[in-house]
Amino acid sequence: MSSEEHLKQTDTEARFEFKKEQKSAFQAEKGLNEETIRVISEDKDEPEWMLQRRLRALKHFQNMPMPTGWPEAPDLSEVDVDAIVPYIRPDVDVRGGVDDWRDLPDEIKDTFDKLGIPEAEKNALSGVGAQYESEIVYQNMQEQWQEKGVVFCDMDKAVQEHEEIVKEYFMTKCVPPSDNKFAALHGAIWSGGSFVYVPEDVTVNMPIQAYFRMNSEGMGQFEHTLIIAEKGSEVHYIEGCSAPKYSAFNLHSGGVEVFVKEDAHVQYSTVQNWSKNTYNLNTKRAIVEKNGRMEWISGSMGSKATMLYPASILKGRGASDNHITIAFAGKGQNIDTGAKVYHNAPETKSTIESKSISKDGGRTNYRGLVHIADGAYNSSTAVECDALMFDNESTSDTMPYMEINESRVDVAHEATVGKIGDEDIFYLQSRGLDDDDAKQMIVSGFIEPITEELPIEYAVELNRLVELEMEGSLG
Amino acid sequence: MATLEIKNLHAEVADEDGETILRGVDLEVNSGEIHALMGPNGSGKSTTAKIIAGHPAYRVTDGDIILHLDEDDLADIDEDLDEEDYRWSLLELEPNERAALGIFLGFQYPAEIEGVTMTNFLRQALNAKLGERQELFEDEDEDAEEEEAGYETSPMEGPVDDGEVGVAEFQQLLKEKMELLDMDEKFARRYLNAGFSGGEKKQNEVLQAAILEPSIAVLDEIDSGLDIDRLQDVSEGINALRDEQGTGILQITHYQRILDYVEPDHVHIMLDGRIVKSGDASLASQLEDKGYDWVREEVYETA
Amino acid sequence: MSVQIPPTLSAETVREISEDRNEPEWLLEARLDAFEALDDVALPDVIQTPGRRWTNLEALDFENLVDPLNQSDETERVSAEGATVLSFVDALDEHEDLIKEYFGSVVPADTNYLTALSAALFTTGTFIYVPEGVDAEDVKIRAEMNSQTLFSHTLVVTEESSSATILESIESGDDVDGDRYFSNIVEVVAGENSYVQFGSLQNLNEDTYHYTLKRGDTDTYSTINWIEGNIGSRLTRSDVETTLNGDGSETKIVGAFFGHDDQHLDVNARVWHQAEHTTADLVTRGVLDDEARSVYEGVQDVGVDAWNTSSYQRENTLMLSDESEADASPKLIIHNHDTEASHSATVGQVDAEEMFYMTSRAIDPQTARNMLVEGFFVPVLEEIEVDEFRNDLEELVQARLN
Repeated sequence: MSSEEHLKQTDTEARFEFKKEQKSAFQAEKGLNEETIRVISEDKDEPEWMLQRRLRALKHFQNMPMPTGWPEAPDLSEVDVDAIVPYIRPDVDVRGGVDDWRDLPDEIKDTFDKLGIPEAEKNALSGVGAQYESEIVYQNMQEQWQEKGVVFCDMDKAVQEHEEIVKEYFMTKCVPPSDNKFAALHGAIWSGGSFVYVPEDVTVNMPIQAYFRMNSEGMGQFEHTLIIAEKGSEVHYIEGCSAPKYSAFNLHSGGVEVFVKEDAHVQYSTVQNWSKNTYNLNTKRAIVEKNGRMEWISGSMGSKATMLYPASILKGRGASDNHITIAFAGKGQNIDTGAKVYHNAPETKSTIESKSISKDGGRTNYRGLVHIADGAYNSSTAVECDALMFDNESTSDTMPYMEINESRVDVAHEATVGKIGDEDIFYLQSRGLDDDDAKQMIVSGFIEPITEELPIEYAVELNRLVELEMEGSLG
Repeated sequence: MATLEIKNLHAEVADEDGETILRGVDLEVNSGEIHALMGPNGSGKSTTAKIIAGHPAYRVTDGDIILHLDEDDLADIDEDLDEEDYRWSLLELEPNERAALGIFLGFQYPAEIEGVTMTNFLRQALNAKLGERQELFEDEDEDAEEEEAGYETSPMEGPVDDGEVGVAEFQQLLKEKMELLDMDEKFARRYLNAGFSGGEKKQNEVLQAAILEPSIAVLDEIDSGLDIDRLQDVSEGINALRDEQGTGILQITHYQRILDYVEPDHVHIMLDGRIVKSGDASLASQLEDKGYDWVREEVYETA
Repeated sequence: MSVQIPPTLSAETVREISEDRNEPEWLLEARLDAFEALDDVALPDVIQTPGRRWTNLEALDFENLVDPLNQSDETERVSAEGATVLSFVDALDEHEDLIKEYFGSVVPADTNYLTALSAALFTTGTFIYVPEGVDAEDVKIRAEMNSQTLFSHTLVVTEESSSATILESIESGDDVDGDRYFSNIVEVVAGENSYVQFGSLQNLNEDTYHYTLKRGDTDTYSTINWIEGNIGSRLTRSDVETTLNGDGSETKIVGAFFGHDDQHLDVNARVWHQAEHTTADLVTRGVLDDEARSVYEGVQDVGVDAWNTSSYQRENTLMLSDESEADASPKLIIHNHDTEASHSATVGQVDAEEMFYMTSRAIDPQTARNMLVEGFFVPVLEEIEVDEFRNDLEELVQARLN
């Protein structure tokens, strides 16, 4: 295939269609049981405590109910965990990935080339990691950060090389496996993901990016990301996800734990563009200490069903949270996202901005929880949700929950839902824009208040994805 | 020179009830001419304007709207032109295709669009117009090629498509036109019409016409809601459209006032969905003195 | 989940109630059906978030709360010219056909466990009928609950182009030892182009558990406006709902509550847009003092056929005490894109700037606070069309402040 042909495929909706011939070193048997877990753990050479944690999580998974029964919740009846192959390790010799793109097998390299990852690394990133199926295949970190003690490596490697830290933080204080059924599943069969450690007072001023890709059919991806930002440090982590289209469903159930220590600042950005047969059921949570600041930025464009509610636990006085979410549900998609914030200390602050777009029968749902504990005085929260609907086949729900146990607070929630105005489209058309461009312009305008706050590279990618979404169904 | 020819236009509201609004409108506007279309509320003036631009809320039941173009109008088209390229029935075209051919509608109530800056909008509109223009005159099979182009690089990395008129070039153009209309530069950075005063919106409509350089501009009550200073700015803008770009103007108004600044070559009076009387500028002042009842009596007596 | 039927209740109890009141056979059958349904239906839905259930209806001890055969009330009814305002029993003599047609048509008995219990056991309530073209102003129903348990069922039917403004007030009369239970089901059937304002003011004593479901159904161009005031009771679960079934119909659901001590007020406003060109406006204002707790759910549900919908919702809660708690969930469920919908909710204290402004004018802090709380309720008071109702509510707010 010529490089030109590659480019074309990368850059349209059709880029989901390229699949690689599956050629894996190890493929776990279908089905999930204790034996599978032992095989995974053994294959990874894990210490005993990690195996025990996995087995405990498996027990939780087996005993917990599916997250159904919520009002207007996505249909998960198709999700049969036993039917997916929970663990696939690509055919790469070096555990923990290689640190030069040239060392990657050609077909994996091709995939990430098309996604523009190496280019991005050169231009704008402090470090980059790429996960293909269940394991990180590439990991690199600029030297200047390594010298300052910043660690960015794949999670499996961290279990070996930073065992004490991982043992202390991994699914213990932030996201215990007992949290929900998919967190439990994740705890049992997690594989890959990133470990980020930023020492005290270090500011990593270029983003670190990880890119996750599923390439096999009937695949599950369960990467675990653990970020520890020590006192006064600062880091921006970008996560990108994609998968090609297959007939069988894929399952992505990632786990993210972020520890924002005193005066630290972490920004976590996700551009999720899983193929439209992926169930994307994640648990992401941050614990924010005194005067720390956590920012969650999520763009949910892909997947068949997404259930994602990044949570911040504002544990220290003066801690703050900022959520920005953009959801775009097209045909057959159900994007159920939102935010959770627990104000557990005085003078904590949260802002949540959500914009959702539904079209061609897509469903979006904002589901959010703001909890202000007794004693969290002088705290404030402001939530703003706006939804834009294209047509009458689509639906848009907004379901915020507010639990206020403290009187000295400022709590505000606002939401709007509207359609694309015919008069607006006509106005733009009368100025020469065709119908598609007019709609696209209105959508860009709708999400503009959010994109203008984003880092430029993220905003550009998001806009491109929105354009693709619009073209995909309008064209 | 372009000519907009409205022939026996009948139209109704495009809903179940289908209320008839236009009952046979005939009108011809040439490049470089200024026409004033006057009439009481509900006589069909705004409907005429919207139908010219292709508003989906109305259904044309009879008649036609033809745009005649000549060599000069199509000087920018780099194609072999057939006879049919000089004569277009607007009714078959989408609003944006009409815009590409040189029709401009100045709205009575311009839409407010949040999040889209004036600069971004106008540059995109200008480029869309230029692109669409080429496409309209191209042969069918050439169209197909265009579709396949796609992006050159990945979403993460690719350069933004700049269009025919680049950002710098456009900003210069915008600056010139805004000075001409005595508009504050800050407009360029504001969202399209969002939070604009009534007068600012109208000024903005004329600015857009100045940038898109239409052959025929239909201005629907461009003068309502303007204070005297702004009325003068807007009038200067309209005169400049005619004098510098040779645009033909069809100006819909209730008031004599703007006609003092933008002197019409022709005045038409509309009643009950038809143009019942036409004349020169003096007709407007006659109307000012005697009111629409005078026209009504005259028309229905002779009829 | 279904709830155990208290052993003190049987089909025999239901028959006895019906026979005592000489009811027609169809009503007895309806009651028995409702009694049967108790086995299958669950308590009303309650919001649940991780680790928290906002109202615990399961804790209601029906065995001790429900004493169906000793229900007693004292109800005064003021009619308006041309309209019928009768107790449910009396109305059966005059308007049996209408009651048979509409009873349970808006709130089916098997809606939930509590509606089924009400349909099986109710002994009081009012029937209001407004014939075509009649304007019935200032209809008043003042009820006193004198027993441990009282189930009330009210039915309002308005014919084409009629109108009615109705005040219903509920208080506790005779003292009774122990906990009490009051159930109040209201159905409104608004005929074409008719207008109904139904105002309800609840000031039961604080041993009383209170459940109310008020639901209206609009025909073409009709309007149902609800005003729901909750001051008393130990625990209130109030659901005020309108189904906009007629094209061009409208509803307003206005709520006010003022909780103190350890009161628990679970107040909800819900609207279903099912027809074209419908409008809804949900406004709720509540104040919490001491350890009182409020729960609010507002639902704006726009159906797939509800073209050109306008739907608005505002909820504001003022917390006077640090021990109080306010939970709120305003929901938008939109299945038709031709909709303009918004909601907003706020929770907070009395505005510090406003307090400062007033105290700087020599007003003592207590008075200043009271004035601001009274002012907070003004948007609700302004909606009330029955003057007596407005005065009553104002007085109750003032009484609670002092």
